[in-house]
This record gives sequence, C-alpha cells and structure tokens, in this order.
Amino acid sequence: MAQLHLFGPEGTPLPRLEALDIFHIESGGCTGCALELASLSRALLAGSHPIRFVPTPRQAGMLLLTGSLTAGMAPVVELAWQAMPGPRVLAVIGDCAVDGGLFGGNYAVLGGVGERARTSMALPGCPPAPDEILAALVRWQASVRGTSG
Amino acid sequence: MSAKVAALIRQGAPTSCAGRFVLDADAWRAMIAGLHNADLPLLGLWADGVQVHALFRYGQTALVASVVTPPEGYPALSPVRIGAGAPERIIHDLWGIPAIGGRRDPWLDQGRWPVAPPLVAHPAPMPGLPEGREFIDGPAVMQAGGTVLGYGPAEGNFRAPFHLRLGLPGERIEAVQPCMGYAHRGLAARLRGLAPQQAARLVARIDATATVAHQLAFARALHNATGTAMPAQDVAAGVMLGAMERIATHLDVLAQASAMLGDGRSATLAATMLEQVRQTCRELCGRRLLFDVIPPAATFPVCVEGTQLAALAAGHASLHRLFWRPRGLAAQARGKGVLSATMAARWGIMGCNARAADKGPGDITDRLDARLSEIGDSLCALATPPEASVMEAEGGGGEGLGWAEGPAGPIWHWLRLEAGHVAAWWCGDPSLALAQALPVILSGAAYEDVDLIVVSLGLSATGADL
Repeated sequence: MAQLHLFGPEGTPLPRLEALDIFHIESGGCTGCALELASLSRALLAGSHPIRFVPTPRQAGMLLLTGSLTAGMAPVVELAWQAMPGPRVLAVIGDCAVDGGLFGGNYAVLGGVGERARTSMALPGCPPAPDEILAALVRWQASVRGTSG
Repeated sequence: MSAKVAALIRQGAPTSCAGRFVLDADAWRAMIAGLHNADLPLLGLWADGVQVHALFRYGQTALVASVVTPPEGYPALSPVRIGAGAPERIIHDLWGIPAIGGRRDPWLDQGRWPVAPPLVAHPAPMPGLPEGREFIDGPAVMQAGGTVLGYGPAEGNFRAPFHLRLGLPGERIEAVQPCMGYAHRGLAARLRGLAPQQAARLVARIDATATVAHQLAFARALHNATGTAMPAQDVAAGVMLGAMERIATHLDVLAQASAMLGDGRSATLAATMLEQVRQTCRELCGRRLLFDVIPPAATFPVCVEGTQLAALAAGHASLHRLFWRPRGLAAQARGKGVLSATMAARWGIMGCNARAADKGPGDITDRLDARLSEIGDSLCALATPPEASVMEAEGGGGEGLGWAEGPAGPIWHWLRLEAGHVAAWWCGDPSLALAQALPVILSGAAYEDVDLIVVSLGLSATGADL
C-alpha cells in the first residue's frame, strides 16, 4: 500500500495508484491551487509514486489547469493541448478553473476553462488541499478502470 | 535635496488621504528635476483616470505626489526613477494616459484584450491580435547569430505565468526581454463598485504567497480611509499570521531551490516543515493558505502551540546546518544571479532581496541565507509575540493608504471610497520591480540557472500583473 507521509499520520494507507503523467498550467490565478499541487507533487516524488508532474505537454496524458484562464493564457493552453500525444484528458482544479470562481469573465479573463471545455475531472475549492486533490485523482482513476473494465 | 523635494510636494494641495498632495504641472516638473539628486525611493506609480499618483518614501513616512493628467499625458518619472518604467507603461495600457518622455510600448496588454484601454469609462472595442506580441531582437543577439530561447509561460511548474525571451550569443545570456500580462486579471476594474468586505475577498487572492500581507495592507488602507482605528486583536493577528506566511513562503522557496540544485535532504526537510506550517495554519484558522483571515474571527487564538514551534525550530536548525555544510546549498549557489545593493536601490527593490544584497554580493546564496534568517526571526516572533496595541487611523476622509511587509518586500494598497464602496484602488507589489530588474539580474547567467534565479528572487507574476 502506498503511503503519503506528508499529509497524514505516518502509515495512512492509500489505494494503489496507477501511472499518470500530468502537465500543469497555471492559467492566471492567485497560485493557491498551484501551491497545493506543488505540495502534492513533492509528496508523490518523495514516495516514488507513479503519478508525476512532467515539464512538457509532449510527455503528458493529462492537462491539469488551475486559475481563471486569462486572455493571454488561452492560446498557451490551446497549444499545450495540441502538443499532447495520443489519448489525453483535461482536468481542472479549484473554483477559478472550474467556473471562474471570484474571477469571472471580464476584459482580461475568460472565467475558467471548466465552463468552456469538456473536462474529465473537476475539483472545486479555494484551494482544495493536497489530500483532496489526490483523492480526486484516485477517484478518477477508479472511474476510468470501472468504465474500461 | 530630499528635504527640498519633500517640501515641494507638501506645498501642493492637501487631500483627504494623509500624506497625499496634488501638484500643478509646473510643480510636478520641478519635482522631477529635484529628484535627480534626491534620495527619495519611488514605491509606486498609478493612475485613477483623473490624476497620476507617485508614492515616495521620505525617511519613515510615505509621501504621495499627484498631478492632474491632460489627454496629452504627464511628464514621465522614468528618466529619474528607472523603476517607474513599467508602471508608466501599465498606466498607458489600462488608462491610455501616456508618460511624456517615457516608453509607450505595452507592458500588460499583449493585444488580446477585447477593449482598449479597459479602465476608461467608454473603452473602444479592439479586434485583437491573433498572433500576439512580436519580439524584436537587439543588435547583440542579431550580430552574434546566437540562440534565442524562451522561458515560460507554461513550464509545467507551479508558478504564475510570464515569458522571457533570452538571447544567448554564447553560453551566457546576453539579452533578456520579459513579456508580462499573462497573469493579469483586471483587479482594478473588478474592485470598483464593490463593498469593502467583497473587495477584501478578492484582495486575499491577489497572490497566495503573500495573501496575509495583502489583506493586512488593504485593511490598514480601509481603516485609514474610514478613520477607524484597527483593533488590537487584528494587529496581533496580523503580526502572527504574517510571521506564519513568511515562514511558509521562505520554506517553499528553499524547498524549490534545494530540489533544483539536487540537495534532496534539504528539499525534503523544507517541504516537511512547510507541510507542518500549513497544517498549523489550518488548525488555527481553518485555512492552509491563510485566505480571508484578516480581520480575524472572534475566536482566533493568537498563539501557536509550544510543541509545534519547538519542532519547527529544530527543523530550522537542521536546515541551517545543511545549508552551510561543505558542498551544500550555499556553496552550490554562490556567485549566481547577483542582485547587488546598488542594483536593488536603482530599481527600487526592497524587502528580503535588498536585505540579502546588504549581506554580501547579493547572489542566490545570500538570498537563501536571508530567507533562512527571516524564518528564524519569525519563529522568535511567534514564540514571544510583541504586545499589540490599537493602530490609530490616519486621515479618514474616504481615502487611505496602507502597507504591510510581505515575504518578498513591502506591499502597498491605496483606495478611495464613495458611498461606502470602492471607487478606485491600487496595489503595489514588490514583484513588479523584480520583473523590471530581471534583464539585469539574468545578464551573464547560464540558461540552466534561470529557473533557480527566478525562484530565489520570489518573483510572483500574479502580484506584478494584478
């Protein structure tokens, strides 16, 4: 059983994780969700877990967005999506990415990608804690297994 | 000379905001002429559509000089204060007000906004540029025929987006063109018309690495605008939560820098301590990242448990030992990304990075060492919190200025209230000065060190872009 020592008492059991390469883009927000993702990334790395964050979309199977999607970042997100090979999924974390949250649409912001594109995983929160993000990823992996099985 | 310029500013028409004076065009020009030889650091420059305001530090006080802007523009400050360059371009982007004698190329506007300028009463619709911004390489890069590499805005990391175009005629970076605006959310437009409580929720989410400092500076500006004193409990909570935030942000920087330099022990220790701090924050106020904690809840306990502090202090001592061990982090980062005291003063960089520059050459080692020292100081402040007292308001005529020390430097908020709602607002974040100074700091660095240098500075594009 995998353990995530940083977020819970030592020995906290977790369901078995499956390999997943994630490319994260902060699309314009306070970076609170990104900070929590960074904590999760460090814990996954320390525990040698098969979920990892990769530095290029060309290696990724999941595009994970945080932030409210500014006008400047929209083409960047599109380019990253187009650069991902093979089967790919889109996930959004945090209120801003899900529906804009406090940062709804204005001249500079499109107001979240969750309202504009079909997402495979959407986790609201301002921001969701690392253990909540991990639980959402595990739930999503389980649902995919259930669908394909 | 500084006293003469300060006296000149104070001869202007006083306003309802303590320390702000409105100058006529001649006095503004005389002020600029006097600033050539004066030691008055520029802390911020912004506009409200009618006037342009320049915030200076004079001794321990803040002084704001304002000038009414005709459509043709206002005399630029950037010839005498280089740090005014980006704010002048931002004012042009947002309000369409040009700085006479300053640059007018965009800083925030990449040509993708549907209207321009967005903050005026009736902005014109814009078709937008599908290709975005064009870069023009300087002669150094053109002549050398060297490589041009990009950095950002999507590197798969966990920081706010911005882009750097780096010219490498050889193995070292020679030309740097920053491109900001990716993280711009139009906060000045969003806050207009909001009740202060609603505005405070947005302010808390300007930058998660300095949320307490933003909340505190905004709260102080609000108290000054309304002429109400800040209660002692709020002051005490601000000190304590500010210390917690400083520890967390510095640990985050140390964890990132350690991981980049391959120091796994330091990285793991810093990340573990960071998680302890976040969990302590959640236990104290229900928020790991300290959003919406100022003003504090009535039940807020203004102290941290002794056992938690002792664990953090032990971790800090170990981190310090690891940092200075032979071939440790300090030795590896020495000489990289120099931001000297002279450069800091020239660009108006203050706070942690300026203090680091006073310690030595101002390289990454000095910056990380300064952060380690500040973690120790903050732990001491949490162990023996100073006696908090009521903070009296200054002014009270519907307009106020407030500041707080954030992890990367001082943060300023200014607001004007009309009928109990925010009519105009400005925020000054230390990241804007850092973003302006990046070309100088990165000049001569290796491309592989760019990420490390940016992390060590604590530059947050979301604070710079707003």
